[in-house]
Amino acid sequence: MKCHQIQNRLSAFQDGELKDREQEKISEHLEKCSACRKRYEEMEKVWQDLGNLKEISPQPGFYGQLSNKIKEINDPRLLTRFRWLFQLFSPSWATAALLIGGVLMGTFLGNTLAKKELLPFQQNRTYSQAAAEVFSLKAFDPVPPGTLGERYLRMASYGEGGHR
Amino acid sequence: MIDPLIEDEKLMEETAQGDEYAFELLVKRHQSRILNLIFRFIGNRTQAGDLAQEVFIRVWQAAPRYKPQAKFTTWIYRVATNLCLNELKSSSRRKLLFSEIPADAGRTPNEEGTVTPSAEDILLAEERSRQISHTLQNLPENQRMALILKRYDNLSYHEIANIMDCSVSSVESLLVRAKRNLQEKLIFFEK
Repeated sequence: MKCHQIQNRLSAFQDGELKDREQEKISEHLEKCSACRKRYEEMEKVWQDLGNLKEISPQPGFYGQLSNKIKEINDPRLLTRFRWLFQLFSPSWATAALLIGGVLMGTFLGNTLAKKELLPFQQNRTYSQAAAEVFSLKAFDPVPPGTLGERYLRMASYGEGGHR
Repeated sequence: MIDPLIEDEKLMEETAQGDEYAFELLVKRHQSRILNLIFRFIGNRTQAGDLAQEVFIRVWQAAPRYKPQAKFTTWIYRVATNLCLNELKSSSRRKLLFSEIPADAGRTPNEEGTVTPSAEDILLAEERSRQISHTLQNLPENQRMALILKRYDNLSYHEIANIMDCSVSSVESLLVRAKRNLQEKLIFFEK
């Protein structure tokens, strides 16, 4: 094997991933070839240096926090009734099914209630009552009808008309 | 009471049936290596803690569907690896990733006394450690993950290939490039 071939295999050699025969061949080559040996020694030094990054330890409350998070996710108030749905299907499909069910139920109930005129504000309203309701909303205008401001604006607009 | 020597796959079975003690054993058995894997990859201690918890939440959620086709450790490493890689893709947090791994990141108060006594040696060691962590953080994601799995978890190429969902020869090539990159960058620091 030539030097460049050896150097391409040095990483696998260092990791002990070569077959015994190839491992021996490279080992023998390294004894004879100072350039390849230097390359390997540099690689070893970096490998040793990487060991200087120390380990960190989990915080003391690691499991407690985790357990709380899981309890929040598995909140029985939300899931007890529909747990079977989440066990049968993946969470995303089960959530989609619940949402679609909710929308359909809402539409159905809305239509039923509207047809039967069960809503209190829809019962026996005359046209004049509806008109009065709309007029009363005018009280929220910047210049409500009947105020001094509204009269002034009306007069001003007549004045502009007169100039034309 | 569950035997603490019981294997991971059995604990997963118990976890699937809602046994919290089995899950706790599983977490305590693997929390340190998962936390350190993420920490070395991400480079931020707080974020590593959050992501490690996320890994175990996924373990809990996946327990009913878990089928022991591979070793549990391979499976959980794969969960952690995917989470790390996805985290990197969400670029909003990217700036955090290059925040330093502090040179004394792993030092606990008890270890203070055992650090090299000379102040100069301490400074040099800290500087070297900072250089290494900085260099590690700047490796391309796949090279970094392969290197961490090999160097710190001593996994075989075959296991790394399973975790990273690639071929053994890809792992070998990732490691060759990672080592070469590290060497070049660290030599640059020495100059």
